[in-house]
Amino acid sequence: MQPRNLLIGLVLGIAIAAGLALALRDSSEQAVPRNATILPAGNTLPDFALLDQDGAPVDKTVFEGQWDVLFFGFTNCPDICPATMTVLGQAKRQLEAEGRQPLPRVVLVSVDPERDTPEAMARYIGYFGDDNLGLTGELAEVRKLTDALGIFFQKAGGEEAAYVVDHSTVVLVIDPQGRLKALFSTPHTVADLVHDLPLIMASGS
Amino acid sequence: MKRIAAALAALALVAGCSGSDGPPIVATDVVVTAPGAGMPMAAGYLRIGNRSGSDIRITRVSSPEYGSVEMHETVIEDGVARMRAIPVLEVADGETVVFERGGRHLMLMQPAGEPRTITLNFYSGDVLLLSISAEFGSAME
Repeated sequence: MQPRNLLIGLVLGIAIAAGLALALRDSSEQAVPRNATILPAGNTLPDFALLDQDGAPVDKTVFEGQWDVLFFGFTNCPDICPATMTVLGQAKRQLEAEGRQPLPRVVLVSVDPERDTPEAMARYIGYFGDDNLGLTGELAEVRKLTDALGIFFQKAGGEEAAYVVDHSTVVLVIDPQGRLKALFSTPHTVADLVHDLPLIMASGS
Repeated sequence: MKRIAAALAALALVAGCSGSDGPPIVATDVVVTAPGAGMPMAAGYLRIGNRSGSDIRITRVSSPEYGSVEMHETVIEDGVARMRAIPVLEVADGETVVFERGGRHLMLMQPAGEPRTITLNFYSGDVLLLSISAEFGSAME
């Protein structure tokens, strides 16, 4: 082989190897969730009886028929709850802007049903986007859902009428069959959600 | 999304502190946010820098537009957010303490009007009055 041909072959070989490496890296980044833990076999949700933001009774079938991202918080929470709901709303809008389908519904389950009436939930979830779902109701019914999903919450200190509630910060993903499919740990970021939610929804329901 | 937001007048002085160049206590980036107007609670965020030559302690925060203001801190441990009051905040000389989302924050309760001012009360008896201009709109976006 002529030296010139050898050089051309070498350059081509390096270019092909580099291209393959890049493709493999991109493929790997696309396929692996950045934050989410995807559950291979989703747990079905327990029976519960709560109210949506319109005051209508709902049970576990409210989670059937669409993908849902759930956060557990309360409307009097000044810091972590609005920050998380904002991130969820922004992620959904970005997925929509990218033309992604399906789009998940954002759901807030109140861990302070004592103060969170359906009216309060309706006003609150409306601040973070359209078509959100808010669930509240009897404390014992909320406990049925949170206990089954491993969500902790407990009323904590604060002035009598302005108490706060300690609560889990995990964001859960429920598949259209109403099964727990994945979870996101803190810190919650729009970038992680936008990257991982399509992977979760593509992993099957 | 609606919000209550407040951008601060950049800085103010605490009288009687050191005579070094620049203001001895500087408060910047003050923002008061709530998901919407009329919410019973809002959060306040800011940065407090201390160049007074000595440590300072903030013992109380108040606002004429809120019935109650408390310093709080959100701590996430084992995936659980716990919010606790900060009775007294110490800012060491030369340090800057940051109030930010997911960490230290002001909890402003019982709103009685559009937020305009916040007062930081120091152990020394000095006060720092922060002027706020309120906005409604995109703080949470």
